[in-house]
Amino acid sequence: MNESLHRELTLPVHGMSCASCVSHVEGALRGLPSVSDVIVNLGTNTASLRYDPAVVTLADMRKAVDDVGYGVATAELTLEVRGMTCSSCVSHVEGALLGLEGVSAAVVNLDAATARVTYVPGVVTPRLMRKAVSDVGYEAQERAGGADALDRERQARGDEIRRQGRNLLIAGGAGLVIMIGTFYDMLGPLKAFVPVWLSYKWVIGLMTTPIVFGPGRQFFTNSWRGLKHGVTDMNLLYATGIGAAYGIAVINTLFPKAGFGGEGATFFESAALLTAFIILGRWLEALTRGRTSEAIRKLMKLQPKIARVVRSGVEEVIPADEVEIGDLILVRPGEGVPVDGQVKDGYSAVDESMLTGESLPVEKRAGDPVIGGTLNKTGAFRFEATRVGKDTALAQIIRLVEDAQASKAPIQKLADWVAGHFILGVHVLAVVVFVFWFFFGYRTFFDPNSAFILSPYALGEIGVFGFSLLLSVTVLVISCPCAVGLATPSAMMAGTGKAAEYGVLFKGAEAIENASKLQVVVFDKTGTLTKGEPSVTDIIVAPGVSESVLVGLAGAAEKNSEHPLGEAIVRGAEARGVALRETEAFNSIPGHGVEARVGGREVLLGNRKLMAERQVDFSGLLAEAERLEGEGKTVMFIAADYAPAGLIAVADTLKDHSAEAIERLHKMGIETVMITGDNRRTAEAIARQVGIDRVLAEVLPQDKASEVKQLQALGKKVAMVGDGVNDAPALAQSNVGMAIGSGTDVAKETGDVILIKDDLRDVIVALEVARATMRKVKQNLFWAFIYNTLGIPLAAGLLYPFLALVISPEVAGLMMAISSLTVTLNTLLLKGFRPSVRRGDGMRAETAASPRMLTAGQPAGD
Amino acid sequence: MDEGQEREVARRSARLYLPISLGAAGLFLLAANLAGGYPVVARIGGTVWVWLLSTIVTMPVITARVKRGLVR
Repeated sequence: MNESLHRELTLPVHGMSCASCVSHVEGALRGLPSVSDVIVNLGTNTASLRYDPAVVTLADMRKAVDDVGYGVATAELTLEVRGMTCSSCVSHVEGALLGLEGVSAAVVNLDAATARVTYVPGVVTPRLMRKAVSDVGYEAQERAGGADALDRERQARGDEIRRQGRNLLIAGGAGLVIMIGTFYDMLGPLKAFVPVWLSYKWVIGLMTTPIVFGPGRQFFTNSWRGLKHGVTDMNLLYATGIGAAYGIAVINTLFPKAGFGGEGATFFESAALLTAFIILGRWLEALTRGRTSEAIRKLMKLQPKIARVVRSGVEEVIPADEVEIGDLILVRPGEGVPVDGQVKDGYSAVDESMLTGESLPVEKRAGDPVIGGTLNKTGAFRFEATRVGKDTALAQIIRLVEDAQASKAPIQKLADWVAGHFILGVHVLAVVVFVFWFFFGYRTFFDPNSAFILSPYALGEIGVFGFSLLLSVTVLVISCPCAVGLATPSAMMAGTGKAAEYGVLFKGAEAIENASKLQVVVFDKTGTLTKGEPSVTDIIVAPGVSESVLVGLAGAAEKNSEHPLGEAIVRGAEARGVALRETEAFNSIPGHGVEARVGGREVLLGNRKLMAERQVDFSGLLAEAERLEGEGKTVMFIAADYAPAGLIAVADTLKDHSAEAIERLHKMGIETVMITGDNRRTAEAIARQVGIDRVLAEVLPQDKASEVKQLQALGKKVAMVGDGVNDAPALAQSNVGMAIGSGTDVAKETGDVILIKDDLRDVIVALEVARATMRKVKQNLFWAFIYNTLGIPLAAGLLYPFLALVISPEVAGLMMAISSLTVTLNTLLLKGFRPSVRRGDGMRAETAASPRMLTAGQPAGD
Repeated sequence: MDEGQEREVARRSARLYLPISLGAAGLFLLAANLAGGYPVVARIGGTVWVWLLSTIVTMPVITARVKRGLVR
């Protein structure tokens, strides 16, 4: 099979409510030929997969998902089509649209000049549809008011909330009346307000029936569809529970002498309230589930809808997704930047915090890059579009966060497996419980005065079958691990979203799980701990020479140099406000330095060898030179008119927050290691200044991965932080590879975590978010399983011989609803999480503020 | 898998899970009769409940296995 022909696809799936649904949808899709890497995410309601379009079609996938009781969500869109004149135009346009993968129906109306398209969002976009229509010779435009992806997502969620809300209103309202009727005898003085006929069994039965066959019907139809295809899910537990309670109640009402317990054992209220509570759980889930993916919605909202494009000197407002590369775009104060580009003219400050987490507005002037989705604050500017559509930084970030949210952490795979096999186990347990109480328990322990928990009703005349069935049904209902399916993905979604808010992008849930377990963080030196470019650290002048003269001569001599050390000297001179004169003559001496004439003076700048060759006596400054070299700095000798003028030392500099980041990592109990191609003396000098625990020096780029491997061989979980340029093998070898300072072209980055800003403190943000997320996952799994763990023995009647109390099915249903609610609310607490770096706690201000000079010359290996 | 194949899977798996669940229900009925003292309704009701749960347990397991076998 040719892997290169395989495509990746993310399908929106609806109807899933639990972990077993996830495994069923995964199983159905995996069963299709050529389909691989199937990952279904309950939190995002998506299935991502790889497939060979020549072997399997989207229709096959939709059918497979439909067959196991779920559905692939579709959306509708109306295109206004111009240029159609006859029926053959209609078939051309329809053919073009239907030829697109992801379009399931296209109906063209010639009179109205419209095309109504039903399609799978995420597989095909309106832009592709417009292009397809345009390719066959017509013009298409999305009808104004058409919903975009964000609106559709919100609409789908709103529909589900409304559907379950309607069901809840019916089941809950009627259930309340049924409960009043059932407990009529206990109402005391309130009886005067309740008609007596409400307590008649047949009335209660009549009111229960529409609940079971109305709002409760979804459980029966879904479980039957699944059963037919060999799958079981939570719906089956509910259907069996509700069905059994209702069936027995009907028999006991219509045939009280049949021996099922008679009128004293009608469970209409159980069937009604169980349905109501399960639907309450579904409604609460629908209400809260979408809130965990708020990060994506926030990012989507950033996408400006329009752009002011300047074409032929005329400003026109067009949809942002129609901007093309090379377009000149005007951005006014307060407006969003529609796409990525480069400023051509104008000046402004742009708020990029939404994408990079950088809190201060970034100044923009000609030549600076701008990012689509950011907000222009003060001035106006014009920029040229360089990346549009799916290539913009914002689109890439959204895709990356979506992919991460669609992926599965190892812990979730285990939870899904357990939940998936749980249901069958529960049915086996229900048989065991029934058989035990039927043949042994009832005869031995039954007490007619025993009652339901939280109910004053005694079980009274219930027979052996009714009692055994009651316990069996309660076991089914209480065992439902519905919250398990939400526990991990909801926390992962919240965690990846939270990290994205701070400019930290996790590429998958596994990266979060691994990052939470890290023990060692290995830093690449150049470009990661340090700025990766040398700067002037020391200036030593010869007697009679001022610093400004020395720097002026050196800067002027190096003005035209492209050597990194020369550039450092020029930057150093500029930083000191020294005006650099033009050179009258310039000559580069390879391997030695440069010679130039500046203001009539012969200037030599270079190494010791150059001075020796030109017989310039530097003996008076040699001690200083040796001291600086001992610190690992690169020393340059400057002579004017063949007399020593002074020394300039150049070294790499630490990034602003390197030392603070290392100190914070130590506080978190993380061991820090620096890996570099520099010699040991230089490397150790750097390590001392930044506070690194351990140094791996003189490591060639190709050997970095094996150094990481050696650390892992000691049983340590290792993260590698690098700029991704020559660290790719080491990033891949580590448990978590972090690419730092990648800017906004995130799609090209290697590594499991991408730190958009060039700020090492984001390593701490990544680790803290990962730890907080995994804490949340574990708490959620605890809350999801604790109800089952405690509830099953109670429901099975384990305490009945001692307490003579049983849990009624409706209380079991309520516990399950509370379980789901607890998990979702617990996850929402993560929204308030702030990394310590952003809280600014525990660290001295100066560690963050002062850049330090380092003892590095040009690095050998990194 | 086309509709014909699906019908075949359903037929083949039913030939397996129905006898198993009916056997379990039959065993229950036999045990209830042997133990004695149970009203007819309890015996019949219990048999139906055991059959239903046994079917629910065996149906998906066997259907999935038959489907896998047919796909191979």
